[in-house]
Amino acid sequence: MRKSVLAFTLASIATAASAQLPGLTRREPAPPVPVQQPIDVLRADFAAQSGGTTVYFIAGSSGLTPQATTTLANQAAWLRMHPEVTIRVEGHGDPGDTRDHALAVGAERAAGARNYLVMLGVPAAQVSAMTWGKERPGAPRAVTVIVPNPTAPAMIPPAQ
Amino acid sequence: MLAAGLCLAGSAEAAVQAGTPAATVIAIPPLTSPDTGAKGNEMLAMAWQATQLIATDLRETAEVMPLTPDRKDYYSYPEVTAPSFPKWRDKGAKALITGFVRGGADGRLTVGCYVYDVDKGRELGRKGFVVAPSDWRRAAHKCSGLAYEAITGAPGPFDSRIAYVAESGTGSAHVKRIALMDSDGFNHRYVTAGDTIVLSPHLSPKANRLAFVSFDGGIPQVRILDIASHEQRPLVGNGAMTFAPHYSPDGSKIVFSMMLGANSDIYVVNANGAFPQRLTTSPAIDTDPSFSPDGSKIVFESDRSGSQQLYVMNADGSNERRISFGGAWYAAPEWSPDGTLIAFTRRSAGARQIGTMNPDGTGEKTLTRGPADDSPSWAASSREIMFERADASGRPALFRLTLDGSDPRRMNTPQAGSDPDWSGSID
Repeated sequence: MRKSVLAFTLASIATAASAQLPGLTRREPAPPVPVQQPIDVLRADFAAQSGGTTVYFIAGSSGLTPQATTTLANQAAWLRMHPEVTIRVEGHGDPGDTRDHALAVGAERAAGARNYLVMLGVPAAQVSAMTWGKERPGAPRAVTVIVPNPTAPAMIPPAQ
Repeated sequence: MLAAGLCLAGSAEAAVQAGTPAATVIAIPPLTSPDTGAKGNEMLAMAWQATQLIATDLRETAEVMPLTPDRKDYYSYPEVTAPSFPKWRDKGAKALITGFVRGGADGRLTVGCYVYDVDKGRELGRKGFVVAPSDWRRAAHKCSGLAYEAITGAPGPFDSRIAYVAESGTGSAHVKRIALMDSDGFNHRYVTAGDTIVLSPHLSPKANRLAFVSFDGGIPQVRILDIASHEQRPLVGNGAMTFAPHYSPDGSKIVFSMMLGANSDIYVVNANGAFPQRLTTSPAIDTDPSFSPDGSKIVFESDRSGSQQLYVMNADGSNERRISFGGAWYAAPEWSPDGTLIAFTRRSAGARQIGTMNPDGTGEKTLTRGPADDSPSWAASSREIMFERADASGRPALFRLTLDGSDPRRMNTPQAGSDPDWSGSID
């Protein structure tokens, strides 16, 4: 289900791009190039191009694994190309942890991932960090989420 | 102290379980009333309800065992302060409660209670309470507390409140709301709307305010709720993630965790949010602070050694020292109201259990079997602990545990419940 939605979104991006190529004709005039694409399109492109929005951690640890730094480097490359995008890194603790320690671990993971992105050139002002503790069950992880841009609220619908 | 065998058939349901220490048997003849006529009948009906509630309260304890109240034992008003003792001696009682309910001209009730040592024929204590008729349960709880304290020396946990997180739904429809109830489950009500995740309620000592964590602003932040007015405000307004709030015993301060960057440290702030002051500076995770009852020390958890362990420091942040050395991970400490013990969550081999240790780290005991227990909170008596236990499906419920080693009892709540906080005895 999720994959088919993603494929459809990518296809529509490709169509929009090809319509702008010189020499190609369309029955209808090309739509104006948006200043910003809809947030779900941006999110899908970000996920596809950076190899995943999520980096995983070893239980009990907030250290970035080699796999995590690879994913974050890909995320940073995409984000440097999209300076108009604002993101939030959401950290998650371990499900078996106590509640408050899970909050702190999730915050550490989010801060670690955020700092890595900033180190790779993503403007710090565009990256916030927060923690869900163990309120959203799942593997120990940090998720990079594109959020509505506060400077252009009219262009982007709110996050679902 | 009296052995269970002397207990009469009428109180069979209060029989002490084998292996538990003998409880003190207490007689509770029906409370009476000096009022006459229709009002007298009304007051006697209320007095009988109060009598039964006192018996129910005391039956919940490990230390006191009430004889079942019997209407035939009715006292006249003058006998409340001059009871006969041989009858209760014959029934094996060591203590006796008498009392009355009187209606006032303003519609309020005066409830008077007297506790006696049956063997010595001596009064142990008396107290009077003036309450609105709707608060008759609180007055009865106060009478229970008077008897419990006279017998055990510890404050009764009966007139107290429990705040917890009521949970419903699953997955993305998971709703968490802060709920409040009396310690016996009555007066249950929700105090947050359920439109945002909330965690970690902690009542002020008088149970008129509530500190809790809300994700309302997109990040976890401590908020303060005035229970009477329903007004809410952030504890500190600096945009940082804050969590794990705990009131000081006098209610004037709140200790909590604040994230600055990747670092969680412990801060203390005036209860109105003024003058936050940093207490710990370690680069590790320091969280879950809890004051000693005299306010001079704070126990907290830190993973600065590489694993979660318990530490005690002075209330100004000086003299930090580790107290847990039992070979497991220790978290969520809470200092008992009498100052003698620290309750905690013990993590080892995939299990979380509730335990206690002395404030110097000696005398560690594990009290529950787990495997998913957390968030211990003390009763005012320091003889009971409420905690959260998740079942195999992850659904949490509140449990009540007495320190005598008997099995924890599940609290009856309308929905799943987590993060219990048991207040002290309210005024």
